[in-house]
Amino acid sequence: MGGPDVRPVVILADDDEAITSNLAPFLHRAGFTVHVASDGNAALELVERLDPDGCVLDVLMPGPDGREVLRRLRRGGRWLPVVLLTQVGESAERAIALDEGADDYLNKPFDPYELLARLRAVLRRARPGRRPLSASPTVRAGDLRLDRISRRAWLRDAELVLTPKAMLLLDYLFTHPDELLTRERLLEVLWGFDFPVGTRAVDNRIAELRRALGDDPARPEWIATVPGQGYRFVAQVDDAR
Amino acid sequence: MTRPATGTLLRGSAPALGGVALGVILQAADPRLRLYVAGSVALVAVLAGLAGTAVTVIVIVARRRAAAASAASAAAVRQVAEEAAQDRLRFFMRLDHELKNPLTAIRAGLANIEQGGGLALASAGTVAAVASVSVQADRIARLVSDLRKLADLETREIETAPVDLTALLDEVAEAVAEIPAARERIIRVTVPRAPWPLPLVAGDRDLLFIAVQNLVANAVKFSAPGDTVEVRASEDDDALLLEVADTGAGIPADEIGQVWQELARGRAARSLPGTGIGLALVRVIVVRHGGQVAIRSRDGQGTVVGIRLAVPDRARIAPDVAGLRQDRDTPGMAAV
Repeated sequence: MGGPDVRPVVILADDDEAITSNLAPFLHRAGFTVHVASDGNAALELVERLDPDGCVLDVLMPGPDGREVLRRLRRGGRWLPVVLLTQVGESAERAIALDEGADDYLNKPFDPYELLARLRAVLRRARPGRRPLSASPTVRAGDLRLDRISRRAWLRDAELVLTPKAMLLLDYLFTHPDELLTRERLLEVLWGFDFPVGTRAVDNRIAELRRALGDDPARPEWIATVPGQGYRFVAQVDDAR
Repeated sequence: MTRPATGTLLRGSAPALGGVALGVILQAADPRLRLYVAGSVALVAVLAGLAGTAVTVIVIVARRRAAAASAASAAAVRQVAEEAAQDRLRFFMRLDHELKNPLTAIRAGLANIEQGGGLALASAGTVAAVASVSVQADRIARLVSDLRKLADLETREIETAPVDLTALLDEVAEAVAEIPAARERIIRVTVPRAPWPLPLVAGDRDLLFIAVQNLVANAVKFSAPGDTVEVRASEDDDALLLEVADTGAGIPADEIGQVWQELARGRAARSLPGTGIGLALVRVIVVRHGGQVAIRSRDGQGTVVGIRLAVPDRARIAPDVAGLRQDRDTPGMAAV
């Protein structure tokens, strides 16, 4: 995504023509070159042929479904950013599961502008030719290390004791560094969907993480508060080999 | 468990002694269960008569049999209830599945119209019509996803950590205070602190928060400026009781049986925003915690909603109190 004239190429894979015929022109007008695939095999073929910048995959498709397409891409060393279109209630844990390595996910029916925002964010975060954080088994930020497969974290040599939800949140923060993460979005991460009420649940889990990390909210090393909006993981994240 | 034949058989053959209470709680959720409750009351009467005869013969054997029958029928009732829940879950999933794609397409189509600048030259009437379609599409999307969330909560694994309801009620009070209408209500939270504080309950703190918050928000919503909303917690031997009471409009007698149902919206609620999912959500959360819900209301006088939650063995839970009490993260809390 170099100069202003370079339009990122994305694959939009969904078997419902009503969706692709409306979303493709929307994404096109927003500055993308869009190629539509109507099933999993077509999506794999397009990725192979076009080497696109990103991919939007519906989970329910004929042939290999979205998850299977994603697994095959990752197995084949294709590290392009992928947004999965999932079902309400599918836990985020599953949607961002490491064996699949999706960079983000969105529940249908979604707001198209939200898809646009997520797609732009994953493209911005992309590290061309390198494995995305979302597909890395271990990640590191300063003295903090996270083993995403066993779901364990260490601060220097001490292992952190965290509730499963706090661990899930830490994983999401780690794999979405430097992004403004609203409470609503983090709530969706914790629960697989947004609840109609109460975002204190997110504040409580963030507080748990900060206590475990000894992170001072006034001078955060890892988790910064964005007043009135949400949180941001401010540490530099790398693969931990 | 999912075979309809089994369900019919069980519904037909399940006499319920212990099942009556459960049946009454669940009857709002499924009309078939309501029939079943009526049927089981008759069966109880018949069973009672039979038992009376048996007593004259061999008392001990009859007691043992009654106990066994009661346990078996309770299990049968549970299975019927589970199947009803499964049916509903499947229906919500199908509904969600059938509606999510058209809704996604409608939203994308609307975004196209907006983004394409087509509205710049359109008449005021067209602009208004498109705006209206957009609002209504969002409304359907919210409704469908609310139903799906409800179905999801019925099956997902529930965390069971010790929860301090005293702290939770403080948080609920804070959250409710942010509702503009709450400033015009008198809101009182009464939590016993002597001779000992409320016991901890085992559960998912986030879900319990949502349940209580919904009840208090409802009390605010269905009352008028100057009305009183009371949140009262108390303890009896092995349970914790929580009541949310208001001096609001109350619920007409003919509507009270439906309040726990999904999408139930009373006549008074029709002029107010909402999807009618709140109390159904409360019920699912409480039932998933092994608790019970109850409602008393007088039209024109107000409503009391009660939640009863079992308190786990105190000896086991007490040592964790200090460690698990949730601290506030005041310095890090972002402005809302």
